[in-house]
Amino acid sequence: MASFRKILIANRGEIAVRILRACRELGIATVAVYSEADRRALHVRLADEAISIGPPPAAQSYLNIASIIQAARESGAQAIHPGYGFLSENPDFAQAVHDAGLVFIGPSPQAIQSMGNKAEARARMQAAGVQVVPGYQGSDDEFSLQSAAAEIGFPVLVKAAAGGGGKGMRVVRQPDELLEAVGAARREALHAFGDGHLILERYVPKAHHIEFQVLADQHGNTLHLFERECSLQRRHQKIIEETPSSLLDEDLRVEMGAAAVAAAKAVGYENAGTVEFILDPEQRAFYFLEMNTRLQVEHPVTEFVTGLDIVQWQIRIAAGERLPFQQADLRQRGHAIEARLYAEDPANDFLPATGPLLRLVEQKGPGVRVDSGFTSGDEITIHYDALLAKIITYAADRPSAIRKLQSALQETVLLGVTTNWQFLQAVLADPDFLNSSFYTTWIEEHYEGWKPPVCDLPPEVLAAAALTQFQPDEPSFRTTQGQAERDAYSPWKIANGFRTGE
Amino acid sequence: MRYRYQSGERVYEISLERQANGYRATVDGWPYSLEVLDSQPGQLSIRFEGRPLTLYWANDGERKWVSMDGCTFLLSKPSSNRHPRPGERNPGDQVRAPMPALVRSIDIAEGDRVTKGQTLLLLEAMKMEIRLQAPRDGQVLSLTAQKGQQVERDQVLIEIGD
Repeated sequence: MASFRKILIANRGEIAVRILRACRELGIATVAVYSEADRRALHVRLADEAISIGPPPAAQSYLNIASIIQAARESGAQAIHPGYGFLSENPDFAQAVHDAGLVFIGPSPQAIQSMGNKAEARARMQAAGVQVVPGYQGSDDEFSLQSAAAEIGFPVLVKAAAGGGGKGMRVVRQPDELLEAVGAARREALHAFGDGHLILERYVPKAHHIEFQVLADQHGNTLHLFERECSLQRRHQKIIEETPSSLLDEDLRVEMGAAAVAAAKAVGYENAGTVEFILDPEQRAFYFLEMNTRLQVEHPVTEFVTGLDIVQWQIRIAAGERLPFQQADLRQRGHAIEARLYAEDPANDFLPATGPLLRLVEQKGPGVRVDSGFTSGDEITIHYDALLAKIITYAADRPSAIRKLQSALQETVLLGVTTNWQFLQAVLADPDFLNSSFYTTWIEEHYEGWKPPVCDLPPEVLAAAALTQFQPDEPSFRTTQGQAERDAYSPWKIANGFRTGE
Repeated sequence: MRYRYQSGERVYEISLERQANGYRATVDGWPYSLEVLDSQPGQLSIRFEGRPLTLYWANDGERKWVSMDGCTFLLSKPSSNRHPRPGERNPGDQVRAPMPALVRSIDIAEGDRVTKGQTLLLLEAMKMEIRLQAPRDGQVLSLTAQKGQQVERDQVLIEIGD
């Protein structure tokens, strides 16, 4: 079976490192691309070749289609892996890759296009018999919206058709609040996406966000790799994801899995993708929300419980390989959880933090995996998003996986940039998290105005800080004689004429 | 040797003295025994009152980051008390950019009266919208930001006074 000799990774940070690793394991040469801000980044250092694609702003580098295609041509890469974010869900990019005679490691431009617009995706799913969130995506003049909302029933969600990330969204609980919400949502949508078209959806309180990983080869085999529970979100940004979901029993899992596969087949999907559902825990009903036509950030939890390397399969599928297993061969085993470490300051309304990453010490151990795109010495800048690292743990059951994650997080050291580590620890210790009684708005409701506790400075830290002022700049010379080592710290060895008492 | 560090509002005093088996560290008047087990750049293993510990640390200009047991601390050199010079305003009334960002829109003008919490301007950075709010009631004494301008971290954008 012929495979690629060389792949270009059109991304940066932790996912570029992840893809590089998969390529290396498959014996495929790698080409990294970088903006000037990433000249010394980890993904550049790990690649076989690296090509500059533009100045720091993403629009001029990682979103620069022409520049990336040019880099692929120059390097002789045969395929491009787009990672997540950036151009991964841009049908024009996928098309440009095809037109350049290269392979796009992902689905077709048509599949990306179909699922990219919420209104079109919903319409397609309905046609395919996949349950969608009861809603309305017709003419969005005020009169039509009012009568549609009355039919769907309140509370109703007003959403931007072209949007995501919570922008252009409003929850309307009473009919008389609808018009004001429509006006506000439309303005926000126009500003954020350049498209003020609105749709309506039933709002499900205490909903769960459950997504299913799908994998489809070029030979018609489409299957799912089970679910991921992604309800722990803050302002629509996922914080902690896990699998399996405590909410699903086997029947529901089989039903939702089948719906995910049907959704993928409806658009002729190939390669890896994720179908997102809203689960109404009270009604035990699930609804199609949207499909992400790319690899997801949280794919590692699925890899742990299924034993499959999704990124490797993406590459192998794109090279024409047939999936050697069927749905009935797949099992979920154990429990996996991922926590996302962000460069942000919870004490300052979670504003993004920047700065030099002075020290990063990642933990390793049985069932502990850390996916990061940085090493000590890198600079966290304003140009890209704030994800620093993902810490993922795997154990036989949920409580063990949680304990492992708490422990791994406790041993992770990150100096130089403020992170959300305290927030993660708070959530992981929360009784509602421990007994799985959270839902999508839970974090916002329970952690509104939360500030990290101010840790008392232990004397150990202060004493150690003082000791570091004795530390030489070059690696210290360790001897087996404790005495000689201790002498190295003797103040009598400092020859700068200091006086005691100062 | 004596050292002073500040964290938050507090200043701490530490002194280190060589002993037969390591050091005596006195922190805010309390003595502790300390022995070094291993030291590498940025990493220190000690026995503190007999308890083994590994700490990680890094210098950041005038500041020092130290991590122990998963907790990260930031220490700095004690700052001297700043008394505003004549003509200089109380720093609390300055509205600064929290990070490098782009000014998206400005909702007020010089001379406007504002109330505490009122949105003064919108910044954009790292794909997020950042709202800068008035820290107090007062009047906009100066506005040194323009729509579309790229501003630096800590750059003073607005001053609010009486």
